Amino acid sequence: MDEVIKIVGIGLISLILIIIIKQYRPEFAIYISIISGIIIFFYAIDKLTNIIDLLKQICNQSGVNNKYLGILIKMTGIAFLAEFAISICKDAGESSLANKIELGSKAIVISMSIPIIHNLLEIILNLMPT
Amino acid sequence: MNVDLLFKIAAVGILVAVLHQVLCRAGREEQAMMTTLAGLVIVLTLVIKEISSLFDTVRTLFGL
Repeated sequence: MDEVIKIVGIGLISLILIIIIKQYRPEFAIYISIISGIIIFFYAIDKLTNIIDLLKQICNQSGVNNKYLGILIKMTGIAFLAEFAISICKDAGESSLANKIELGSKAIVISMSIPIIHNLLEIILNLMPT
Repeated sequence: MNVDLLFKIAAVGILVAVLHQVLCRAGREEQAMMTTLAGLVIVLTLVIKEISSLFDTVRTLFGL
């Protein structure tokens, strides 16, 4: 429960600071939003580590190939980082920059998913009665 | 990760804004620009340090 209070508190405090500083120095508002995002993320980290460990445990028990889970977790990491940058760029009003970051991160994620798609196709072809 | 970093950056921002106004009123525009740049550099080093720690944490967490 106190995690939520911390996160909401930091969010509101940084919101107020941003509004104060935006009139005089707009660039400092962006710095404050970046730093508050990072601080909130560090609060969410220990929860994330538990979730990832649980996923790995389930994956080992169910006998699924561990490589695919690793790729999935990597994809979520890339998606998180890209989304972090994209939302900050959009806040600053640079939506074209945000789209470029989005394009790049999508290309990386898709290129990472190629082995999975390859194996999927192989499995389907094996099932096909040729 | 501590919250006082947030207040430190806000304080530098307000200080730079006030100094800029004061120096502009006093007619020294170039000093005003210098203080703005100095404040920018200080905050930038802080932010970049935090961003690098974020990247390291995400790298170890997600196994990138």
